[in-house]
Amino acid sequence: MWYPTWALKRPGVSHDAPCQAVDDKNTVIALNTLAAATGISVGMQRRAAEALCPTVVTIKRDEAADMSRFESVVELIESIVPRVEIADPGLAFVPVTGAVSYYGGEHALVERIDKELNVFGGDRRFGMAAGPFAAWQAVRTTSEESPLYIVEDDAAFLERLDISAIGSDDLAATFRWLGITTLGALAELPYDAVISRFGRQGMDAHRIARGIGDDARPRDMSSDPAVEAVFDPPIDNFEQASFIARNLSQRLIGQLAPHGMAPHRVVVTAVAADGTERVRTWRSADPFDDHTLADRVRWQLRAWIDGVSVGIRGGISSLRLEPDDLSGSGRQLALEEDAKAVEETQRAFMEVQAIAGGDNVLVSVPQGGRDPGQQVLWSRWGEDPVTAARDIDAPWPGKIPSPAPMLVPPDPVPFTVSWVDGTPEHVRLRSRWVPVLSWAGPWRHFGRWWDGEGSADRYQIVTSAGAYLCEVRDGNTYLIGVYD
Amino acid sequence: MVAQLERSHHPPFVDSGDPIETASDKAFSLAPGQIAGLSGLPGSGLTRVGLSLLVPYTSRGPLAYLDVRGWASPLAAWELGIDPEHFVVVRTGDLVIWSRVVAVLLDGVRAVYAEVPMGIKDAALRTLAAKARTRRTPLVLRPLDGKLPNGVVNLHLEAREVTWEGTEQGHGQLMRRRTLLDASGKTMRGMERIVEVEDDGTNNMRVVSHLGAQASRGFA
Repeated sequence: MWYPTWALKRPGVSHDAPCQAVDDKNTVIALNTLAAATGISVGMQRRAAEALCPTVVTIKRDEAADMSRFESVVELIESIVPRVEIADPGLAFVPVTGAVSYYGGEHALVERIDKELNVFGGDRRFGMAAGPFAAWQAVRTTSEESPLYIVEDDAAFLERLDISAIGSDDLAATFRWLGITTLGALAELPYDAVISRFGRQGMDAHRIARGIGDDARPRDMSSDPAVEAVFDPPIDNFEQASFIARNLSQRLIGQLAPHGMAPHRVVVTAVAADGTERVRTWRSADPFDDHTLADRVRWQLRAWIDGVSVGIRGGISSLRLEPDDLSGSGRQLALEEDAKAVEETQRAFMEVQAIAGGDNVLVSVPQGGRDPGQQVLWSRWGEDPVTAARDIDAPWPGKIPSPAPMLVPPDPVPFTVSWVDGTPEHVRLRSRWVPVLSWAGPWRHFGRWWDGEGSADRYQIVTSAGAYLCEVRDGNTYLIGVYD
Repeated sequence: MVAQLERSHHPPFVDSGDPIETASDKAFSLAPGQIAGLSGLPGSGLTRVGLSLLVPYTSRGPLAYLDVRGWASPLAAWELGIDPEHFVVVRTGDLVIWSRVVAVLLDGVRAVYAEVPMGIKDAALRTLAAKARTRRTPLVLRPLDGKLPNGVVNLHLEAREVTWEGTEQGHGQLMRRRTLLDASGKTMRGMERIVEVEDDGTNNMRVVSHLGAQASRGFA
């Protein structure tokens, strides 16, 4: 069951204007009919879309908020068919084997679900097949006018599909170059030959093409791999829940990683302070890693905590993650890494986050910039890697040459320097004046004058006590780096 | 022959080929569970020296930098060859939680560099030192003021003098730093030595000589 425009179903989004939703990479993921009429399509870059339709309203996707709203939809479907699995806010897999005979056929069942979902409105589609991959492909072939596609024979349906359905653009391009343009053509190739030539990726693609789908290759573990945390007092705010989600997800994935396993399905169970138990299953065609799983658990917890009709009362007193459909696609450790050490490190940083606060455990990536402070992009440890905002390869005129100062104050610090005819003579370090032995500069930084930002001159000043990077702005000298 | 360090897979200090006492080069590699203490004013290059001691451990996992002042910049760490994702900065100047944070880091992280705020009790530092030895985690301590208690560190480095090459009166740019260090402690086999360290801003920081003569103290 799929809402293709679920990201647009939020309060305040106008239905009378072209509207699109974009993801973190500024790729269009959903659009309304007015936007589609202008030529915009899913997968297009935001800039290209706005070039086609300058008046299009763009909203950023917020998965946690989307999930909060989608939880009500899932609850409603579960009142008809139990054990609904969520793949994404807006996309749910419903196991209908038993329900089809109970409700008297596929059409009757879909009509019943569709009728119940009428209260939410919006464009919703249904695809029905023996396996989740075929069902997902089926629902993608539907349209607003024809919202239901029932696959009679998964293998026959899949063999007509374009090779791009395997999900890997590179591999699809290679197959296409070899003249294999449909899943049917791929399925006809000898299995062993495909594995030999394309490895694991080829094996997965071949399984999909044969209609075996994305079922995980089951693996057994001797011990119970589930992880659980109990909270006293119960947690009742989203910030706390986010930390817990990440912590538990990392523990779960870390526990499975030494066995080379990763889950395709995870059952999230939360017990409320009043004893109510809530269970939700999340699934993914690709095995979950700690980041993707943490996101799903976080969205789910927000949906439960913030939910109005389906919320959790009095906070969450315990949370359990139980993996299912374990596959051998666990994260490959680097050559010199050992799983136990990685797990210990993660646990240590998580504990430090709990003690010192999430904002105080930081990693960084290099980016372009003129001053040392600008050349570092910080992010909280454990979060998705950030992409550098400034081009590191750009020329950056006025950039201070290496070596870089080891200490860079977050904001320029007033620095007492005695200047004689534009030459630094002495600097004041603590309570005494120290003569300047040599100096270099200035490197001029032209500020954004249109924003009211002035220009500044930067100097490297060497004393017997060390070297300092200073900035002279509006006649005042500031310390912006220490070469420690 | 000057050996180039490649992405921190080798010891950070490499003999320049003109040593007075080649055996002492080993004094600058910090073995697992050993503790180094650094003394000197900011600007003397001690942070880079301290990080250099820990660089070999970062090929196998992250290095935690406990930043009390909130001034630590990863740029210089990257120049030393530390992978960006293996340089984790923990910012806390809170005396109450400082010891606890260091203890947790020693439990799980490959290498720890910790600035020591004023007011940390000697007993707490001794406890942490014992933990580092037990966990075999190399630890570098940089007191922001005052000294470390006796017997805590295996290697004590005190900045004595620093000179820079490359800058003139308004010309050039900082190129190369030479720092004279007083090195003492158990890893120096009980002897106090003066060591000159050359740092050209890349990851081939090296010991250029081991000076036996005692010079007048030129560094405040």
